[in-house]
Amino acid sequence: MKKATPYLLLLPALLFTALVVAFPLVQNIINSVREVSMVKGVGKWIGLANYTHVLHDPLFLLSFRNTLIYALAGTLLALLIGLALALLLNMKIGRITTIASFLYTIPWVLSPVVAGFAWKWILNDHFGIVNYWLSSAGLIDVGTSWLGNPHTALFCVILARVWQFYPFAMVMFLAGLQSIPQEQYEAAAVDGATTFRRFFHITLPNLRPVISVLLVLGVIWSFNDFNMVFVMTRGGPMNASMVLPVLVREFSFVYFDLGKGSALSIMTFVLLVALSFLYIRVLSGKETA
Amino acid sequence: MTHTILVTVLLSLTLISCGKKSDVVEIQDWNFGGRPHLMVWLRQRTESFEQTHPGIKVVQSDKSWNMIREILYASFSTGTGPDVVNTHANYAAEFGEAGYYYPLNTFPDFKEVRHWYMPELLETTRYKDNYYGLPSSAIAFALVCDKAMFDAEGIAPPKTWSQFREAAKRLTKCTDGDGIMDQYGLVLMGGDKGGFAYRMVPFFYKAGVNFMSDDLSKVEFNSPMGVATLALFADMYQVDHSIAPGFLAYGHTETNDMFCGNRVAMCIEGPWVRGMVHEKDPTKEFYIVAVPVPDEMIDRYDTAPTLQDMVMYSVNARSKNLNAAWEFVKYLRNEEADMAWIRDDMGALAVTTAALNSPEAQNIKDLPLFIKELKNARPLPPHPQIVALASNTFTPFCEKAIVGELSPQDALDQAAREAQSVIEGKE
Amino acid sequence: MKRIILVSTICVVAFVVLLPFLWTLSTSFKSLPDVNTYPPEWTSVNMSVRPYIDMFFYMPFSTYTLNSLIVASASTIISLCTGSLAAFAFSRFQFAGKRFFLLVFLLSQMLPGASVIIPLFQFLNAMGLYDTHAGLILVHSAVLLPFVIWLLYGFFQGIPREVEDAALIDGCSRLTALRKVILPLALPGIGATALFAFLGSWNEFFFALILTSSDATKTIPVGIGLFVGEYNEIWNQMSASAVLFSVPPLLLFALMRKTFVKGLSAGAVK
Repeated sequence: MKKATPYLLLLPALLFTALVVAFPLVQNIINSVREVSMVKGVGKWIGLANYTHVLHDPLFLLSFRNTLIYALAGTLLALLIGLALALLLNMKIGRITTIASFLYTIPWVLSPVVAGFAWKWILNDHFGIVNYWLSSAGLIDVGTSWLGNPHTALFCVILARVWQFYPFAMVMFLAGLQSIPQEQYEAAAVDGATTFRRFFHITLPNLRPVISVLLVLGVIWSFNDFNMVFVMTRGGPMNASMVLPVLVREFSFVYFDLGKGSALSIMTFVLLVALSFLYIRVLSGKETA
Repeated sequence: MTHTILVTVLLSLTLISCGKKSDVVEIQDWNFGGRPHLMVWLRQRTESFEQTHPGIKVVQSDKSWNMIREILYASFSTGTGPDVVNTHANYAAEFGEAGYYYPLNTFPDFKEVRHWYMPELLETTRYKDNYYGLPSSAIAFALVCDKAMFDAEGIAPPKTWSQFREAAKRLTKCTDGDGIMDQYGLVLMGGDKGGFAYRMVPFFYKAGVNFMSDDLSKVEFNSPMGVATLALFADMYQVDHSIAPGFLAYGHTETNDMFCGNRVAMCIEGPWVRGMVHEKDPTKEFYIVAVPVPDEMIDRYDTAPTLQDMVMYSVNARSKNLNAAWEFVKYLRNEEADMAWIRDDMGALAVTTAALNSPEAQNIKDLPLFIKELKNARPLPPHPQIVALASNTFTPFCEKAIVGELSPQDALDQAAREAQSVIEGKE
Repeated sequence: MKRIILVSTICVVAFVVLLPFLWTLSTSFKSLPDVNTYPPEWTSVNMSVRPYIDMFFYMPFSTYTLNSLIVASASTIISLCTGSLAAFAFSRFQFAGKRFFLLVFLLSQMLPGASVIIPLFQFLNAMGLYDTHAGLILVHSAVLLPFVIWLLYGFFQGIPREVEDAALIDGCSRLTALRKVILPLALPGIGATALFAFLGSWNEFFFALILTSSDATKTIPVGIGLFVGEYNEIWNQMSASAVLFSVPPLLLFALMRKTFVKGLSAGAVK
């Protein structure tokens, strides 16, 4: 009975996960190995044909590359900014830090759909405020396009992603910073350590658990983040900012080819599972150590 | 004791019969988008329908037009969904083929109902001998020219490609003296893949190019004339620099802002343009003319087809209240209802012959031009995959040709190859 | 001097970070023709609170708000209850397959919405839960669960075992110890997690869009999405709704700020 306790505790959560996750996952696996079309529904077994079609699709490699950049750059930059702001706010200069920490969380709270449009407006080439300032200051030409330029579109959606995600990182870092025992800093001060060394030898190591949680969650969420890219660019211009979740949508709901859409989803899924598995090994390795 | 049982039984029976629905039939109508006047009209018309048809109740739900495919596919593929829904007419092929839409021609009175509409418009809802919707809002694409800019330059709205190119070039200028272009001749809608196709195809059609063969077996937009059409735009962009360079990011709002903000002289739009522009700038004046034809086809200027698009009202094939749904659809789209499209800004044109030929129609600004264009207009080919083909194959390759990544010939050839393999079912 | 530099940095950062929000705020008071003009203006002549009022007439936002409150609150409570049990198990027990189960609870985050929605729709429809509060709550709870479990796992890890060992020595069962000792200590952390979960459900758009249909069930994000139609974009009302509906989560954040950060730091992220 005692041995069963942990499993019993897991049971309710498992039931939820099974009902709402297992079924879609199984459906996707089934669909990915069958010929699925809107007209005929789920059809005959075709083995790995859907997977090969996806791999041969010219958009696949492009989307995969874009998604990797989006997830890694987006998460890392958000972490950097979150950390920087957390350090800034941690200096406790008075009331203003309270107000600021409140204001800095606003990007996360704003409805994601509207956030995407807001970014579109401020980045608009002729009517956006950003271009108005930059061109008034003589830094760029009037009418420079950011979202319409295949070379800068991905950068813009990453920027929006960082803007949306950094508050979460900042809040976690703030908490992490405040839980670092003061004695460590005092000891370092006695040894005459510079701010620099204190940061790298005390602050960062203590924040390692926060960093690893943020990295994993950030990357996983970015891989499946559909809203921002869809609203801002739809994956354009000319597929320059196409990412995997938007591509899945193209397959599943523009071509209505659920077979291909499922195959792509399963491939993304497997990749993320592999990454998480590695992470968990590292994490529980640290615990037992 | 028996007394109590009897009372309980009687009470239960009464309650059960109260719980049983009276003979009111309830139908679900999902409404996807529409200009503000249309939405107001829709509610009023629905109320009026319920009053004149006491046995039927309509439950209306507004749905997000941007996610129409996800919403409809999720419902229809599960065998659920609304009884009545409005979609673009090119869904007739897709949803007709999939068995989602009910063939309205099976209703006995369809024989009479069909004659309400302009025949060309009704044909757009047809797929393989069945009609899958009643026409609702007709659209014909035309060229819109900023009156102030054209008058100031002393040029008339263009009729031929040369005039079109020349007008765009002359109207691309720097207006504030800083040496940087801030006004362009033409704007395209590159940020909306469907919207872009809808603005390109009119030029192809006017040049006599088919998107696909009539039997839907072969892609034809890469004919020499098709390549010439795309080359026109490629030259305008790369050589004349007369197309607004940020067009790859522009959707409806951005193109409207560009036009209203006096940043472009011409755009390609449909009947909503007057309402949309005046919402933003009530003083703006513009010419609406037919989409230009190639120079050598000037004699066909009045008869060459532009692109037609249309919204239709359809009935769910799995509806449990087919007759009630049919009554509702007919009421929404009969000749009386259709007059609202003449009198109000519904963002589109009427569809019944009565309304389109009414004296009122001749008096409303721009309507005569659009109606004339509508009579010759042709829709996109009724292929089940046309939505995907237009947005995901035709548009990206055209855009690449315009910005110079591919030559027009290569772009259209590659697009044709891809489209052909989609049509033939192999990838 | 240092103070002045820090304060100005904070202000500059605040402005840069808030730019999209400030622009949305500005748009929310404008009349429709004044949105996105050239040159861009922060204020325009015809500004008023009309969009904030009109939006309630355009769509039944009061109903949507109620729906959002119901769904978000219920999802938060359910995911927290089930999640805390699971987190407790991970934190205080060693058992076979622990790593596997930890992974399982990350899985639901790993499939894109587009590939999950049709099976989910079919499932809910078969259960009679399509277009119901219960259906959406079920889905949101399941989606929030991994996040809740992982955060609570961290918080529970931060509470030293000695505390509950003392309780166990006194004769409590593990579960009683959880209830009487650990939960009170973890309360700030639980509060923090509850906030994150609430916000996750409050702003969730895609599932809410497809799994609800009638006005009686639609949530706020679905309503906001309706402002953008085919040739009809009501930017000012949309902005107003976005601003207005950021207020509840912001208020919650502000109110719970002290417990929030304290909770996170009370051994949370060790």
